[in-house]
Amino acid sequence: MDATDIQILIVGSAGDGTIAAGNILRQALAEAGYKVISFDVYPPEIRGFGKCIARMRATIAQAYSLKQQSDVMLSLDDSHAIPHVGEVRDWGAVLYESKPVANAPQGHITGHIRPGQIPYGCAIREISEKATGANRSRNIVALGYLAGLYGLPREAFHAIIDRQFKKRGAEVASVNRKAFDEGYAAGAGAFKLDDVAFGPPQPNVAPGTVVEMINGNAAVVKGCLDAGIDCFFGYPITPATTIMERLATEMPRHGKRLVQTEDEISAISATIGAGFAGTRSATATSGPGLSLMQEMLGLGTMAEVPSVVFVSQRGGPSTGMPTKTEQSDLNSALFGGHGDAPRIVMAPTNVEGCYRCAGKAFEMAEAYQTPVIVLLDLYLSNRYETVAFGQKSPFEPDVNKRPRKQDLGAGYKRFALVEGGVSPRAVPGDAGGMHIVTGLEHNEMGRPADSAEMHLAMCDKRLDKLKGALVHPDFTVTKRFGAMGKAAVGLLAWGSTFGECLEAMFQAEKEGIDCAAMKVVMLSPFPEEAVSAFMDDCAAVLVPELNHDGQFARLVQGTLGRKVVKLTRVPGVPMRVSDILGEIRRLAGRNLPQAAE
Amino acid sequence: MVYLEEKLKEVQDSGRLEYRSKALPTWCPGCGYFAMVDGVAHALNALGIPKENTVVVSGIGCSSRFPFFLDTFGMHTLHGRALPTATGVKVANEDLTVLAVGGDGDGFAIGCGHLPHVAKRNVDITYLLFDNGIYGLTKGQTSPTSAKGFKTPTSPYENPDQPLNPLLMMLSYGASWVGQSYAGQPDHLKEMIVKAMAHRGFSYLHILSPCVTFDKTHRTYGNLGMTVRPVPASHDTTNQNAAMQLATGGDPPPIGVYYAVPRPTLGDSLDGLVMKAGGELPRRRGTARAAE
Ligand SMILES: Cc1ncc(C[n+]2csc(CCOP(=O)(O)OP(=O)(O)O)c2C)c(N)n1
Ligand code: SF4
Ligand SMILES: [Mg+2]
Repeated sequence: MDATDIQILIVGSAGDGTIAAGNILRQALAEAGYKVISFDVYPPEIRGFGKCIARMRATIAQAYSLKQQSDVMLSLDDSHAIPHVGEVRDWGAVLYESKPVANAPQGHITGHIRPGQIPYGCAIREISEKATGANRSRNIVALGYLAGLYGLPREAFHAIIDRQFKKRGAEVASVNRKAFDEGYAAGAGAFKLDDVAFGPPQPNVAPGTVVEMINGNAAVVKGCLDAGIDCFFGYPITPATTIMERLATEMPRHGKRLVQTEDEISAISATIGAGFAGTRSATATSGPGLSLMQEMLGLGTMAEVPSVVFVSQRGGPSTGMPTKTEQSDLNSALFGGHGDAPRIVMAPTNVEGCYRCAGKAFEMAEAYQTPVIVLLDLYLSNRYETVAFGQKSPFEPDVNKRPRKQDLGAGYKRFALVEGGVSPRAVPGDAGGMHIVTGLEHNEMGRPADSAEMHLAMCDKRLDKLKGALVHPDFTVTKRFGAMGKAAVGLLAWGSTFGECLEAMFQAEKEGIDCAAMKVVMLSPFPEEAVSAFMDDCAAVLVPELNHDGQFARLVQGTLGRKVVKLTRVPGVPMRVSDILGEIRRLAGRNLPQAAE
Repeated sequence: MVYLEEKLKEVQDSGRLEYRSKALPTWCPGCGYFAMVDGVAHALNALGIPKENTVVVSGIGCSSRFPFFLDTFGMHTLHGRALPTATGVKVANEDLTVLAVGGDGDGFAIGCGHLPHVAKRNVDITYLLFDNGIYGLTKGQTSPTSAKGFKTPTSPYENPDQPLNPLLMMLSYGASWVGQSYAGQPDHLKEMIVKAMAHRGFSYLHILSPCVTFDKTHRTYGNLGMTVRPVPASHDTTNQNAAMQLATGGDPPPIGVYYAVPRPTLGDSLDGLVMKAGGELPRRRGTARAAE
């Protein structure tokens, strides 16, 4: 079977329109019917000539992460691209400017291309100047060249270019379309070797679904809207900001309200205030903001008020590495509050999961009357994937447990100690439902009470009711892949790194290693039984994650009292599949030579 | 004795008791805060606001125990966080009457960062600030409104700091209603709470109140009783400059309305955004409920 699996890398400086070109390309590939997964790398500074990389992988079968090696690289700036030539596989292609105004400090890029790699030079600047009278459309010309070379459908690009540039006027759109066509003609006319070939894509066939090219943060927004979010309060912080920015556009269109607050303390306070008032409300932040929210999240637990907090992690501690990815806020999310303050914490592993977790977070916050943290990370927030969405929201609009009429009035017990721990909740406006919520330990009426018996009963209640989250309808708490029986190596992972784990597992299987993988989406309450059963099946359990301490590994070990093998990395970028594979081989007792990657 | 019975009857007839909870205030006998409970109950009654549509949000402190003594919805939150929490309640449901309550430490120390923002947004809530110039709940330490020279357990030689001027701050932050009252004059207090609550937009009522247990020298009934005086009748409450002058004019400054100029609230602005975006304004929950 000759399934298409092509990874393209575009490298340039911030001023070259690198990301813009990548954006058009990945959308065109998606519209052409390929499955796409894509992740860009930006320089930390806003302006200047820092390196930008757009990377995308187009496949017919489902892919779970990017590949370590690319099939095609397009250089928009040789000095930045030259260090990445090695990332292109043998018999892969390098596309570059054949008539640069000046050579890169490292010399011309052709001097760096390996003998096995196929060079395609194109007079990008000249074509741009001829087509548009300026060299500003170099990125579009180069994109056209690439599309022409590989025979990608021209119409898909036209539509996207029109959409992209229409805001700047019909004139700009038509100039860019011309630039694209000129590049396309040059690519189509080039002498092409047998480097990569795009097979016929498979159009999306699932009936009643629409495929969208969407990143994790946009998927969160879609989940919020489909779950009927009423209020959002937030304070900007990378990499969570785009959640708020998108909601700021979308929510008023739906008659909903968003306020930019003065800090994260205010954001979470208002979110909990709005939750108390009976609405679905949320905030979004990163590690530093989560630290500021901890005290108020404790009140959310104590007062049993629903709230949803999206946390997109970045390199830490402190200000850390704001534009780099990491999974190091797990401890903070689980244990950051003072006192015994249980909360629901979940982490999606892919873009579709961002959507599902976002919507389900509102259901669970409401159903279990507690704060829910959804842990993303920069990689997942900014990673694009093609996702098939149904046309109807899969989320329940109202799962509140409301008091019966006869329970209201003077004797209404907001914190009644009932079976399962979820007490019927009245909200402002409900006659006879008046009550005070407090951060003080309290009795069933919500009045301050600190006897040993009452404190124990309430601690039990706040913890026990969360168990419902492990059997919440229509939610994937854990999921197992690969070998279903006994396995030599089991990969146990959470969050964005799970994609790399699956890719490593598939490769290990090809090498004849019995390998299995489990993703753990629900982190608190911890799915002890499912994880334990998985561990029973695996001779060795490997926990790959992007933090220094092995925070998830510690959680598993501490909760279950069983050993796992840690695999921790903090490079600020996604984990290398080869690192995981190397560990799998070692644990399986295979000391195969490392593939030359 | 006859007087007491008459007084009780008056209170019962007025409907004010309906707003009081069964819980008796836990404050020290003689604390200025007792007057606030009666004042707010009177205002809710006078303005005809159903108790189930009222939410009283407080921070932490003696003063912040306030919500427990009313039979309304309430949130006893965290030290310093009454205002942002109250903002969330109001944004979520414009049909609710939302009061924020707290002490001088709660509002002007730990929660001070929220003040300018709630004022500039003109959130349609009433903020009652109980200023005793001391940290009551933690047993008498220096607060941001304590007088310079005041001796407390955390400033045993003397408080070296100048006190803040809350009224001047709130005026300069752009609060649309600013006034001051005194716990020792319950009738004035009642009247002022009614006025503050009747204002559409952010209203800030500064209430001077003695902590009889921990302050025997500064903000006592005796001292306050001698210094408070009414805002002059000639004062123009639409003149921000004049209001600021009033706020800098005396120690303690006059009681009454300093400033009252309505302008669009946060809710109005958010509704405006919905219109701009081409969205539809939601049916207000409370209205829908009342109709059910
Ligand atoms: C984060 C935090 N820091 C400190 C405290 C301790 N604390 C409780 S109330 C209070 C001061 C109360 O003073 P004020 O707000 O003026 O209220 P009062 O008791 O005088 O009415 C302090 C410091 C706390 N509860 N939370
Ligand atoms: S300590 Fe002071 S402020 Fe607190 S209740 Fe007693 S008198 Fe009132
Ligand atoms: Mg005080």
